[in-house]
Amino acid sequence: MTKEKLLAGSHFRKNKGSSIGIFLLMFLSSMLLSLAMILFTDTYPTAQNEAKRLNSGDGQLTFTSSTIDETNPDLQELFNSNTTSYDVAKALSFINTNVPFVNGEVILRLQVETLDTLSKKQMAKTEILDGDTSITSDYIYVPYQFKTSGGFSVGDDYSLTLLGNKYQFKIKGFLNTVYGGCNNGGVFEMVVSPETYADLLSKIGDTGESSIITYELKDDVKPSAFRIRTLNTLKTLDPSADVRLEPLTEVMSGRTFMSLIIAGSFLAVTMIVMIVIVLMIINSISNYIKENMKTIGALKAIGYTGKNIKVSLLLMFVSLAFFAAVLGVAGSYLIAGPIASVVIAQMGVPYTVSFSLISTIVAFTTVLLITVLFTLLSLRKINKIQPIVALREGTDSHNFKRNPVRLDKSFLGLNASLSMKTMLHNKRQNIITFFVTGFLVFLCVIALLMFENFNRKPNLNLLANEICDGMILFDKDTKTEGEAFLASLEGVSNIRRAYDDTLYVGEENSLWMEAYEDPNTKNNTDICYKGRLPQHDNEINISGHFGKNEGYKIGDEITLTLGENSYTYLITGFIQTTNNGGGECILTEAGYSHLVDTSEKIGIYYFDTEKDEQIDPALDACKAKFGDGVTSAANFIDVIEANMATFRGIATLMLIMVATISGLVILLVLYLLIRSLIFSKRKDYGIYKAIGYTSKSLILQTAGSFMPAIILSVVIYSIVSYFMANPYMELIMINFGLMKCTFSIPIPGVIIIGASMILLSFLFAVLQARRIKNVEPYKMLIAE
Amino acid sequence: MNEIIKTQKLCKTFSNGGVQQHVLRNIDLSIYEGDFTVIMGASGAGKSTLLYALSGMDKPSLGDVNFAGKNITKGTPDELALFRRKNCGFVFQQTYLVDSMSVLDNVLAAALLVEKSKKKAAAKAKEVLRSVDIEETLWNKFPTQISGGEAQRVGIARALINDPKLVFADEPTGALNSTTGKDVLDVLTKANENGQSIVMVTHDITSARRGNRILYVKDGEIAGECQLGKYVSGDKERHLKLRDFLGGMGW
Repeated sequence: MTKEKLLAGSHFRKNKGSSIGIFLLMFLSSMLLSLAMILFTDTYPTAQNEAKRLNSGDGQLTFTSSTIDETNPDLQELFNSNTTSYDVAKALSFINTNVPFVNGEVILRLQVETLDTLSKKQMAKTEILDGDTSITSDYIYVPYQFKTSGGFSVGDDYSLTLLGNKYQFKIKGFLNTVYGGCNNGGVFEMVVSPETYADLLSKIGDTGESSIITYELKDDVKPSAFRIRTLNTLKTLDPSADVRLEPLTEVMSGRTFMSLIIAGSFLAVTMIVMIVIVLMIINSISNYIKENMKTIGALKAIGYTGKNIKVSLLLMFVSLAFFAAVLGVAGSYLIAGPIASVVIAQMGVPYTVSFSLISTIVAFTTVLLITVLFTLLSLRKINKIQPIVALREGTDSHNFKRNPVRLDKSFLGLNASLSMKTMLHNKRQNIITFFVTGFLVFLCVIALLMFENFNRKPNLNLLANEICDGMILFDKDTKTEGEAFLASLEGVSNIRRAYDDTLYVGEENSLWMEAYEDPNTKNNTDICYKGRLPQHDNEINISGHFGKNEGYKIGDEITLTLGENSYTYLITGFIQTTNNGGGECILTEAGYSHLVDTSEKIGIYYFDTEKDEQIDPALDACKAKFGDGVTSAANFIDVIEANMATFRGIATLMLIMVATISGLVILLVLYLLIRSLIFSKRKDYGIYKAIGYTSKSLILQTAGSFMPAIILSVVIYSIVSYFMANPYMELIMINFGLMKCTFSIPIPGVIIIGASMILLSFLFAVLQARRIKNVEPYKMLIAE
Repeated sequence: MNEIIKTQKLCKTFSNGGVQQHVLRNIDLSIYEGDFTVIMGASGAGKSTLLYALSGMDKPSLGDVNFAGKNITKGTPDELALFRRKNCGFVFQQTYLVDSMSVLDNVLAAALLVEKSKKKAAAKAKEVLRSVDIEETLWNKFPTQISGGEAQRVGIARALINDPKLVFADEPTGALNSTTGKDVLDVLTKANENGQSIVMVTHDITSARRGNRILYVKDGEIAGECQLGKYVSGDKERHLKLRDFLGGMGW
C-alpha cells in the first residue's frame, strides 16, 4: 500500500489544478446535499415534532354557543365513543378578525386566552417563548410566527381592534402553539392579561367563552368521518353555534406546505446539480487518465500492475472526496441557519439547526460512493492499456475521420473557423456543456417564475379565490342595508355578494364552499380552469384535486349535505386554489339556498374601487355607519401584502440561491473543461503561437469553441423551459390543489437569463483561457 | 550582404531549483539575407536555444536581438507573434503539424493570418504544396495519414507560405530516414536557391553540408564559423572542408 500512497501523492502534486477543480465540485455537491437533507429531514419535520411534543392529539374542535357547552350529554357521548382522550379549554373566539401582521393585516379567527388557561391545558399545550417579565400590564403574547415571519420583537407595540374597541398592547412574549400559530391555519392564538380578558368577556355578549376541545381519536375512527359527525351533532344541538373543527393533518399541511415547497425545491435543485457534478466527475476522471497516459505507460513499463495504478488513482480521488465531503458537510451547517430561517418562517416554531446524523451520513456516503463507483468505472480501461501505447499517448487523437470546417471553404473568419474545429473535436466536452447549461437555464427559469409570481407580481388568480380591492362582512341584520350603503359610496363598483360554508359529501368528505349571486361577476374567473362556472341553482364547480381523487368528472352529479338538508348538483367545471387542501366548491347563491336560509348568514361583499385611495375611506364609512354590524372589513391590498410576505422571502431566496449555484457550477465546469482542453491541446497552442497567432486570438478561439454549445443550449432550453416550467410546477403544486398552472414567465426575464448565462460563460471561459497568454510557444513545444 | 538579424551580448540562463545553467553566453552574431546558415554543436550546447532566441520564440535573459531593424527582445508575446507571422517561418524536428487539421488546412492556418482573401490564400497554399512535392491527393489527408517525410515537407510549405524573411529549421531531418531526409533538405536548398534565407540547427554533417555558412556552438558560445559557399551536389571538397572545421571544433 505504501507505493500506492506514494503514487497517489505524486498524481495529486502533478495535477493540482484539476484535482482542486474536482475537489471543489465534490465540496459543492456534499454541501448542497447535506443542506437539502438538513432542510428535508430536520427543518421541515419541526412543526410535526413540536405538535407531538406538545401533545396535540388528532384535531381540535372550537365551538361557541349560547345554549350548550362541552358538558352536553350528546357531546359527551360523541367524544367518549370516538376518542381515547380529550381536553377542554376555555377561550374567547373572534371570527373574521383583522389582525395586523407583517406589513398589512390578515383576516382570521382570533383565539384569546389568559396565562391561567395555558397552565391548565393537558393537550395542545402552549409554550411561552422569549417572555419579558418586566412588562406587567396591557401585554399580549402573540404566536411565534410573528417573530419568524412578521418581524416583531418582545417589547414592540401592538394594537388590535376587537368588538369595535381599539386595544393597545406591548408584546410580552411569543407563543409556541400548534393550532393557533400560523396564518395559513386560519387561527391565531394570543394571550392577554386577566384584566383585558375580563373586559373582552364582558363585551362579547351572550355567547360568552368558546369551548376548545383537543382530542385523540380511537384507531378505528376516521378523522374525516369524525369531523362530519361532530359538526352535524353540534348543528343539531344548536344551529346558530359557531363551529370549527381542524384535524391536525390539515393544520400541519397549511403550516408546512411552503416549507415543503422550499425543502423539496432545494432537494430538486441539489439533485440536478448532483447530476451535473457526476457528469463532471466522470469527465474529469476520464480526462485525468487521458492526460496522464504517459505516466501510466511509464509506470507499467517499470513493473507496476494495472491494479497498483488503479488503487493509487482510486486512493487519490477517494481522499479528495473524503476531505471535500468533510468540509462540505461542515460548510452546510454554516449556511443552514439563514436558509432554515426562511423555511421555518411560515411554520412559526422555534428551531435551531443541530447536528443531523442522517443528513451527514447521506451527504458523506453519497459523494464517496459516487466517486468510488465512477472512478472504478473510468479506471477499467487501465488494465487494457499496453505500456507502449500509453507512452505514445494512445491512438485516440489520431483517429480523424473527416475534416470539419475546411478553412478554404468556410464562410466564417479564420478564428471562428478554428473555434469550430476545436468545438467539433471536443464533442464530449461540448455535449456536457450543452446539458449542464440547459439544466441551469431550466432551474433559473423556474426561479424566475417563482420570483415573478410570488414576489414581483403575485399571481393572485392562482393563489386567491377572489381578487378585489376591498372586502367587508356584514352580519345578517345589516347586510341588506350595508350592501346598499356600500353601493352608494364614491368610487365603489362591482359589488359581489358571497357566502362561505363547509358542506359535506357523503359521510367522510367535506368541501369548503363559496356561493356568489352570480359567480361570473367574480374578478377571478380563471379559478375555473376546466369547464365553466355555475350559472344556475343546480350547478356547481368542485376542486379539480378533489374531483380527481374521488373520481368526479364534468357532467357528473354530486350530492352535498348541510345539517338536515341535501341537494344534488351538476358539475359544470373544475376550480383550483391552494387553500383548504384542494377541497373547495363554488355554487350560485340560489344553489346554496337549497341547503340553508341565506338570510341567516353573514354576507361577504367584495368590491372594487376606481382608485386605491378610495378603499380605506369606504371601509371606514361602513364601520362608522354600522358599528358592530360590520363583522370584518379589509383592504385587500394590505391583506395580500401580509399573506405574500413569506412567499416573497422564499421566492427571493430561491432566485438568489439558484443564480449563485448556477454561476458556481458554470464556473467550475468551464474551469475543468477548458483546463483539460488547454492541456490536451498545448502542443497545438505552441504551434499556433510559433506561426504567428496571438494569445488574444487563441484565447478567443478557445473560449469561442464552447460558445456554440452554450448558445444552442440556452436557446433550446429557454424555449423548452418557457413551455415546460408550468407543467413542471404542476407536478409540485398538484398536491396543494393547483391542477393547471398558468404562472406567467416574463419573456424579457428569460432573455436576460439566457444572455447572462452566455455572457457569464464567455467571461469565465475567457478568464480561464487566459492561461494560454502566460505560456511561451517555445515552452509549449518543449513541454511535449 | 544585408543583415537580417544582429545580436548583442545574447545570454540565456535557465534556473532550476536554485541551480543556474548558462546556456547562451554573450553571443554577438549576425545572420545575413540569402544565407543558408547552419548552427551545429554537441547535444546540450545551446543550438536550439539560440535558434528560438533569434526567432523571438524564447526571450533571452540578457542582450538584444535586432531582427529586420526591430529589437524583438522588448516585444510583448502578442507583438512577437504578430512579428513572427510576417517575418519568420518554422520547421521543427517533430513537424508539429496540427493533427486535427488536414494538410491543406495546416498550411492555410498560417496563410490566412497574412492573406485575408481565402481564395488567394488557398491558391497560394496549393502552389506552395506543389512546390514541395505534396500531391493534391494528400491535401485533404491528416498529418497522421501521411509519411514523416511528407509531413515535414508540409511543415516546410507552412513555413514558406507567407514569404518570411527567414526560415528557422530545428533539426528538420532529425526524425527522418536518409532518403526522406534528403528530400526535405532538397526542398530547403531549393527554397534557399530561390532567395529564401534559412537558419538551420542540426547535428548531422550531411544536412549541414547544405548550408553556405556554418556556426559551431560550444558551451553557449559561438566557438567557430566556416564559410562553405554555394551548395553544389556531390562537391567532395565542401564535405572535407566542413569535416576539417568540425574536427577543429572537437566534433
